[in-house]
Amino acid sequence: MTIEEIRQLIALVQETAIAELEICRGDDRIRIVRQHGAQAPVVMTSAPMMPSAVPAPVAPEKPARSDLYEITAPMVGTFYRAPAPDAPPYVNAGDHIEKDQVICIIEAMKLMNEIPAGRAGTVVEIAVENAQPVEFGQVLVRIKPD
Amino acid sequence: MFSKILIANRGEVALRVIRTCRELGIATVAVHSQADAQSLHVRFADEDVCIGPASSAQSYLDPVRIIAAAEVTGAEAIHPGYGFLAENARFAEICNECNIVFIGPTAHMIRMMGDKAVAKRTMANAGVPVVPGSDGPVGSLDEALRIAREVGFPVMLKAVAGGGGKGIRIVNTPEALSRAYDIARAEAGSAFGDGALYVEKFVDHARHVEIQLLGDQQGAIVHLGERDCSVQRRRQKLIEESPSPIVTPELRERMAQAALCGARSIGYCNAGTVEFLVGQDRSFYFMEMNTRVQVEHPVTEMVTGTDIVKEQIRIAAGLPISFRQEDIILQGHAIECRINAEDPENDFRPGPGKIIEWHVPGGIGVRLDTHAYAHYTVPPYYDSMLAKLIVHASTRDEAIVRMRRALEEFFVEGVPTTIPFHLRVMNDPVFRQGEFDTSYVERLMAEPIAT
Repeated sequence: MTIEEIRQLIALVQETAIAELEICRGDDRIRIVRQHGAQAPVVMTSAPMMPSAVPAPVAPEKPARSDLYEITAPMVGTFYRAPAPDAPPYVNAGDHIEKDQVICIIEAMKLMNEIPAGRAGTVVEIAVENAQPVEFGQVLVRIKPD
Repeated sequence: MFSKILIANRGEVALRVIRTCRELGIATVAVHSQADAQSLHVRFADEDVCIGPASSAQSYLDPVRIIAAAEVTGAEAIHPGYGFLAENARFAEICNECNIVFIGPTAHMIRMMGDKAVAKRTMANAGVPVVPGSDGPVGSLDEALRIAREVGFPVMLKAVAGGGGKGIRIVNTPEALSRAYDIARAEAGSAFGDGALYVEKFVDHARHVEIQLLGDQQGAIVHLGERDCSVQRRRQKLIEESPSPIVTPELRERMAQAALCGARSIGYCNAGTVEFLVGQDRSFYFMEMNTRVQVEHPVTEMVTGTDIVKEQIRIAAGLPISFRQEDIILQGHAIECRINAEDPENDFRPGPGKIIEWHVPGGIGVRLDTHAYAHYTVPPYYDSMLAKLIVHASTRDEAIVRMRRALEEFFVEGVPTTIPFHLRVMNDPVFRQGEFDTSYVERLMAEPIAT
């Protein structure tokens, strides 16, 4: 949420009869409460303590499309798109894949683990970058299931 | 000194370690299961990594997931907290193999003290008094019976691979021992992966008094006095205090020297606690040694003015303990009450759920170590501890008054808590007078509640 957006929201509360406005977007949450009298509305944001961070730059959350199946990381490690640095990627957007087809490698403790798709379909999006650290449950690839 | 530490734990202890890391300027990595995504330790850490689903076996107890998280975040050291992998020698070895510093003693020390029969033999060899019993695991029921007759009934059948109060059965007669032997072996096998049992004389009306130790890599080992942990229910500690109301300076010195002797004989390093049974005649016997930081470490911190987690980190980084033995003086009195999400009126049944109201005590001499907060949902997958309420005052009487005051300020709605139980103890004349043993809670709960 940008400062400009916050300013616009405060103005919205001041100009209208809104008593309380709360907006959640991804990890951001802002709540604006009208004070009685002529004071400025009180603005409260979530997490007064340290903001939670993630281990590496992660692509911004996109609204989930309910028709897509998300292949998530079954383990913690480093994501690789190809079996070797000079090899072609296992999958690209637009490829059709089978249920047991390997879609990537996640490396941990010097071991390369081949990750199967788990579901047949067409690759819509590779959600992480090559050599990016991933955590358990992180979305790796989105497919349109068969 | 490390620049980044991963905390391989959750809940209040993870927060405890993170806080000291912040004060030391060390970056922190929290690991969490999917069930703990909203946990406070995750929010306070500089980085967090989800390592698995809710089940402990597939998250906090899995060395591979923990190490993988350390690798992707570049953590140089891992603090294991207590429980989970804290006393897992294999995990300590894996850390070494992966060039990650395990903040604790060596795998060898963990293994030695983790086998309760080996630990006892090691201590006995160092001249530490031990409870009479079998020298190591018993090979058969006949051997168990023979030893039990030698040391005298009642005896305890204890799992060699047990610890933390688990895997113990008391038998009063040879017939009872014969009946219990096979079941105890089967239970130990399934709970700890090792059915071996050892036999020990049951010291009745005993108190549980433990000595906190710290050893550094330069070879210095110091003690930080004792903690009395006799208020237990089914061998799980509920209230701890330091100093012990029954330990005189002379007894403290003898127990501390015994603990130091035992620790020196294995060259012990990092934090550790030697637990003793103290009989009514004030004789004491080695029970077990815990090779980790313990839940109740705050009471020692309050009376000695030390930060035990800080010392652990310093020691693991190769620095010496930041004080000498002569600097340690026990000042005043500290008490800790473990506040669990359990209903004391219904057999302490755990009550996970969403905390609706959460108003915590404060003020002079009050310390609260907790990961809970208003609207936090207590997950059902892990232990039921919500908070540790610790008070410190000039005398034991004042500490009890202060604890009572703090408990009365502590308001929780949405989950049951053991706060009413602790208030009952603080108001109980037997507790206030200080003469009680490990059967205290059982006797208190059998009494009708005074109105």
